Amino acid sequence: MDLVRDVLDKQLLDRNRKKMNKVDGIVLEVDDHQPPRLAYLEVGGLTLARRLHPRLGKWVAARREKTNSIQTEAFRIPWAHVRGIGVDIEVDLDAEHTPVFAWEQWLREKIIRRIPGSG
Amino acid sequence: MSKIFEIALGIVTSVGGFLEVGSITTAAQAGAEFGFRLTWAVVLGGLCIIFLVEMAGRFAAVSKHTLVDATRERFGFNFFVIPLVTITLVNFLVLAAEIGGVCVALEFTTGISYPWWAMPVAFAAWLLLWKGTFGVIEKGVSLLGLVTVVFIVGALKLRPSLTELGANLLPTFPGHDASRYWFLAVNILGASITPYLFYFYSSGAIEDQWDESDLTVNRAVAGLGMGFGSTIALAVLVIAALIFQPQGIQVAHYGQLPLMLTRLFGFWGFILFTASLGIACFGAVLEISLATAYLIAQGFGWNWGENERPQKAARFSLVYTAVIFAAALLMVIGIDPLKLTNFSMALTAATLPLATVPFLILMNDGHYVKEHRNGRLSNSIVVAIITLSFLLAVVTIPLEILGG
Repeated sequence: MDLVRDVLDKQLLDRNRKKMNKVDGIVLEVDDHQPPRLAYLEVGGLTLARRLHPRLGKWVAARREKTNSIQTEAFRIPWAHVRGIGVDIEVDLDAEHTPVFAWEQWLREKIIRRIPGSG
Repeated sequence: MSKIFEIALGIVTSVGGFLEVGSITTAAQAGAEFGFRLTWAVVLGGLCIIFLVEMAGRFAAVSKHTLVDATRERFGFNFFVIPLVTITLVNFLVLAAEIGGVCVALEFTTGISYPWWAMPVAFAAWLLLWKGTFGVIEKGVSLLGLVTVVFIVGALKLRPSLTELGANLLPTFPGHDASRYWFLAVNILGASITPYLFYFYSSGAIEDQWDESDLTVNRAVAGLGMGFGSTIALAVLVIAALIFQPQGIQVAHYGQLPLMLTRLFGFWGFILFTASLGIACFGAVLEISLATAYLIAQGFGWNWGENERPQKAARFSLVYTAVIFAAALLMVIGIDPLKLTNFSMALTAATLPLATVPFLILMNDGHYVKEHRNGRLSNSIVVAIITLSFLLAVVTIPLEILGG
């Protein structure tokens, strides 16, 4: 498997096949005398900001600290939760119970639901 | 039988999708100022979009990816950001121009000036997206869009000389106003080769769950639908050439446009022109808003789909809502819709390589399209036309800004 080709930037699906963002980053763990091991998938704007430019990453992280955002670190999905890799990557999680959906839920509850005809 | 029905429906929807404020006005300007001389630009633009739309459908059917998903996956987020931001900005300006087109049509019918119509038009479009489903929107608006066939009827009535049209299939240097001539050529190319069209088409193919058995339908729909759409644009050019040019009328204001049909059909010509402009632009408003929401939602992996209720795709719904109303603001503050149309079409042409080069690479990547890779013919035609559009845009846009 080619991590960058087959995993990074692919669509993530939760266990109900709901779209839960993309694989924004990959975390490898390096132990002494062992080949690097794929440990986590990262999801979230912070990871994307870091990929674009380290300084942008620092700025986003600092802003999140300042605004007491609940999500100060990127959300990590342990590799063990990955159930399948095809066109999309399926993970054994419920997107609604992860911080990945925090913004979606906030929008849904505070704005979209209040507009008639949204349901 | 169902295949034929599917093809017919597909053609109707693509004709509806093709014709919009850009293709109508740029063809009318070209005919009015240069007669048949810019025929080649309409034909080249049409040819290119036929190939690109066919590719977008083939790509989605074989790879099961939308173009956006695959672009991010194949080239990585850091590259993907560039087309994402550029296409979103261009879409936004084109969307404002389309809203302007609907508003101008309403101004023709009511006499109330266009800025007043911007918000009501935006609201109507938003309501359809919010409440409607993909099928209703696509089929309903496209069916109404068939009114634009009136341009073909008009052009035939004028009995244009086919030899003269044919003689202009190859670019020639104009005797006068060279920079204007090339700027209009860029405008026509930008109006025909609209990236939102093939991005939209690839999303539609995924929503309809196309597979390799749909490739024939795809080819027919792309070829006939986009071909028919270009024919209507050509008809607009012919009418403008035969009615405006002899009288020295240049399209400097939208108010002059209905004249092209009133000379032919009297009062009904006025009604038909207004209806064509209004419906074609309104259809484009819906498509571009959706295409922009698709682009952003697919780029970040959010839930998307016009058939999803807004609560099921909150971020996606927020994007089209925000985009429609923000674009309408440009009309509310009174930006000239005609100037914006010319500007946004030229900008589309200038940014074409960003939207098409990654796409072409994907179309040649067996990892995605397996044995359905592009042939040498489709690769070379698209590369040639895109290169020409880009070079012309880069040269003529500064000239037009300096001169105009």
